[in-house]
Amino acid sequence: MSLLHARGPARIDANMTPLIDLAFLLIVFFILVARMGGEQLPPVSLPEPRHAATTSAGSRPRLAVNVIANGDRTILSLGAKKFSDDDSGLRGLAEAIAQRIRRDPTLPVDIRADRSLRYDKVEPALRAIAQAASQAGAERVTIRVCALDERQANHE
Amino acid sequence: MNRSRAARGFKLQLAMTPMIDVVFLLLVFFVCTVRFERNEQVYRLDLPSRGTTADPLALQDSPLQIVVGIRDGDRCSIELRADGVRQTAENFDTLAKAMEQMRRQSGVANGLFESSHPILVVPSAGSQWQDAVEGFNAAVRAGYANIGFAESKR
Repeated sequence: MSLLHARGPARIDANMTPLIDLAFLLIVFFILVARMGGEQLPPVSLPEPRHAATTSAGSRPRLAVNVIANGDRTILSLGAKKFSDDDSGLRGLAEAIAQRIRRDPTLPVDIRADRSLRYDKVEPALRAIAQAASQAGAERVTIRVCALDERQANHE
Repeated sequence: MNRSRAARGFKLQLAMTPMIDVVFLLLVFFVCTVRFERNEQVYRLDLPSRGTTADPLALQDSPLQIVVGIRDGDRCSIELRADGVRQTAENFDTLAKAMEQMRRQSGVANGLFESSHPILVVPSAGSQWQDAVEGFNAAVRAGYANIGFAESKR
């Protein structure tokens, strides 16, 4: 008689360890994917004023208009949408901002512009936001100029 | 007869594989979730209420202007301009101090402007956004609340 049968009927045990490992791995993956999907802030070298008299950006939802240097031209972006810096691009940007303001008139609009850009490359974006506020019929739109705080700037 | 565990030489073993799995999992989680980006700070730049003026960025009174020049190395020219006032500043710190002395407040005998007086940052053609924001910051430090950016001359 073989040893296998001598020990009685075979018991089937589910090994839970790899199952739990895999479940955690999937949870972590989906947490990361969810965070990256909502990301609308590309890396921008923001201005670093000395003795900055700024306030915290806070964690409430905001609409970020990014102005990024790209050679001689600039790229304007709003979330995943990109706009050129010519007149048609600025009109498109204003229209996109106006749509968002119509949905939520209290949404603050942040301008995140590269510190090395010339002012005349950033100012059209400010105008576009003002135009969007006018288009959306908003009573008051809060534009916020983004910068980095001095405490962290000093560490560099 | 069953042999006792002692007779078989029972060895206590720690299962390392799931522990290493979990440790690596936590490591990956923290590596991925740590954010190295610096905290962003903001300045408020409120648009005037609608109906007061045709241009939403325009200021209503004759503003005190901060004219920011083109940067040359570490320096850039800074000038304060208003009716009867024309003053240059060495840097943005001295600009903030000069503007604070001009602000009407208790304890300052010859303050010229209310803290609600409109301030206009006027960057010259070719000046950098960093310097425009420095000018804005100097006005905020000096205690003014009604600050705007001028239209650029393209």
